[in-house]
Parts: sequence; C-alpha cells; structure tokens
Amino acid sequence: MSRDRLKKTIRIAIPLAFWLGVWQLAALWVDLELLLPAPLVVWDSLRTLAVTQTFWLSALFTLLRVALGLLGGSLMGVLLAFLTHFSNWASLLLSPAIRVIRATPVVSFILLVYLWVARANIPGFIAGLMVLPVVWGSVSSGLAAVDGQLLELARAYRFSPWKTLRLIYLPSLRPHFTAGFLTAFGLAWKSGVAAEVLCPPRLAIGARIQQARLSLETADLFAWTLVILALSLALEALLRRALRRGVEGP
Amino acid sequence: MTVCLQELCLSYGSKPVLDHFCLELSCHGLTALTGPSGCGKTTLLRVLAGLTRPASGQVEGVDPTHTAFLFQENRLLPWRTVEQHILDVLPRERRGQARDYLALAELEGESSARPANLSGGMARRLALARCVALGGDLLILDEPFSGVDQARALRILHRLRQRGAPVLLVSHEPAILAACDRVLRFDGPPLSLVD
Repeated sequence: MSRDRLKKTIRIAIPLAFWLGVWQLAALWVDLELLLPAPLVVWDSLRTLAVTQTFWLSALFTLLRVALGLLGGSLMGVLLAFLTHFSNWASLLLSPAIRVIRATPVVSFILLVYLWVARANIPGFIAGLMVLPVVWGSVSSGLAAVDGQLLELARAYRFSPWKTLRLIYLPSLRPHFTAGFLTAFGLAWKSGVAAEVLCPPRLAIGARIQQARLSLETADLFAWTLVILALSLALEALLRRALRRGVEGP
Repeated sequence: MTVCLQELCLSYGSKPVLDHFCLELSCHGLTALTGPSGCGKTTLLRVLAGLTRPASGQVEGVDPTHTAFLFQENRLLPWRTVEQHILDVLPRERRGQARDYLALAELEGESSARPANLSGGMARRLALARCVALGGDLLILDEPFSGVDQARALRILHRLRQRGAPVLLVSHEPAILAACDRVLRFDGPPLSLVD
C-alpha cells in the first residue's frame, strides 16, 4: 500500500472507529434497544434486510426517483438561469418566485404537493423542486461572472450564438454548475427521502423507514438510514470524480 | 483601400479622447501608429473595427464585418488548445490551413498546449495567429508584438507583409516602426496627428 493510500485509509478509519465507539458506549449507557440499538444490532438488522428483494427494489426505486428529480431540477435550474440572465422581464417575474421556493421549508411543499401530484411522483418532484433554486443560483452567478472581454472577442470574431455558448459560456459555467450540482445532490437525497417518508410510495426507502418507525423497529430505522448514507456518499464520490474529469477536460 | 475618418468625437466621462478627429488613411502594406500611452490610439482602432461607436462623426471605407482585430489583451480561452484557437475562427473549408497560421506565428510545436502552459510571448503570438486566421480586408493589430522578442517579431512582420492584406498596427518599438511602410505619430488626448 502506498504511503498516500495508507494516510487516506487512516484518515477514514480513525474517525469511523471513534464514532462507532461513541455509539457503542452510548448504547450501553442507554441500555434500551428501542431507543438506541448498538452498532452490531443495526449491522445484524442490515444483513437481514439485505437478503430480501424488497430491500434492493426499495433502494433502486428511491435512487431512480432522486436521480430523476436531480436531473429534472438541474435542467430546469440551468434553463431558468439563462432565461433570467438574458431577459429582464423573466428575471423580474421568475427570480422572486425561485427565491421563495428556496426559502420555503421542504415539509410545506411535500404536504402541498400531496394534494396535486400522484403519490409515486411526489419524491422526485420534491427533489427536483429543492434542486432547482440551488442550480439556478449557481449558474446565475456563473453567468454574471462570464468574462466580458471574451464575450466581446466572440462578437468581434463573428462567433455564432451556438459557438459563443459552446466555447465561452459552457466552459465558464462548468465550475459554478459543478459546485451547485454537488450541493443539490445532497439536498435531493434528503428532500426525496423526506417526501417518501411523508407520502410513502409502495417501494421506497422512505416507506420502509416509516414502516420501521410505526412498528418500533429502531434497529431497522438505523439500518435504512445507513443505506441512505452509504448510497449518498458512494454516488457523491462517483459524481465528484466524473465532474472533476469534466472540469479538467480530455 | 482608403479609410476616411470624419469629425469623430468620443469621450470617456469628461475626458475627450477624439475631438472632431479627421484622418484620411491609405491602407496598403504595413501602416504603424505610434504615440504616448493613453493618447487614444486603441480607441481609434476600436472605432475602425466597429467595437466602439463614436458619439458623432463618420467612418468610411472600412467594413467592420470584414476586419480582423487583435485586442491589446490576448483574450485566449484557457480551456482550448493552441490549435483549437486557430480552428475556432476558421470556416470549415479553410480548416486545413490551421498549421500555416501556427507556422506564421512560430507555434508549430505547441499545437496541443493550453494557454496556461505558454509563455507571455507565445500567448501573444497565438492571439496574433488567431487574428490573422480570422482574416479580412484589413488587419487591425493593437500592440501585436508586446512580449515577443524583436528578431521573431520582425520575422512575423515580414510574413504578414508577404500575405498581402493591409495591416494597421500600433507599436512603440523603433525596430517594428522602421520595418513598416509608413508610420503615423500621434499625441493626445484628445488624439491628434503629429506629422
């Protein structure tokens, strides 16, 4: 193992061991599984869940809903950022509405949307709604920061609008979009699963969490939370790597 | 081609840079403009290239859509390679000539480098090569050889002359001025022709 790799492993292992120890001590101190199950109890629960088909299907469908919400919200965020940047009227009308979405608590939206949208679509819709203002904000800041000298060059060198977009706007926006997208990714997970808990579709991690809560299976509740955490961290690491590669270019 | 500037007026804030400025300029070969920094030479070039609109007056004999303008700053795209900078301004049917423009600026060995890996002089030569590749009836070059060593600058200037398109350039370098066909000396602001 190389020295760097060893360093990296230690940086992950030591805090992990420390907090698992704290968790174990707290569980021993509380001494009531219903309130705080020990790490090994949660691990057993996770192993039991992982051999069921419902486990994998719930994880898969939650992943799909969050991914669709993330992509849809990001796409809308980018389109609206361009619209509000280039049109004063669009900015006047849409910018306050997007800021209101950003400031509104997610639970209010979940309960409101419950009245309008089919239950299975609520988590994706909510994830998208939470992602949109974050991506919009990042891309809008990026658009405002595009180098005016390069835009003047594009005009002087007779670049078509498409070429200006491809050669100047998109590369300039990439770091802004990446930062916004990664922030939005975490939000999409949190809001998507929260929506699944409050409006549970049939196959969803949120629905399983709700079920565990109602049947007082605290170990299952912890196990599902660990699943969300693991999926979120793994996907974020993959996204970070993919987006970094994009920023560095071919 | 003859460019005719009539009664041009332009101010930056309360400071007049062009004050009823008139000039008739026969553009063929290499024409150099020189004068103290800040006298208004860049403004004059920008007006000629249609990038700055004068408050009043007329520019005749030059079509801004058929000129190529080299900015005082390099304005390179950090995410494009040297060769891509040239290809970006070439129409599809002339893409095969990209190497010629790199050769003109003595950048053949740097085609896959990005601007961050170029020296100041190389970056300037790339900006110049891109401008020449864009082409047009008139090349307007604002300090094209800043940061470029004199021997190389003179070689490139010689190649520009051989291409035949009229060149209007700003320079402070005596050797560059000496290599041009005519030199116009200015003072200002407001811009005025000295001789």
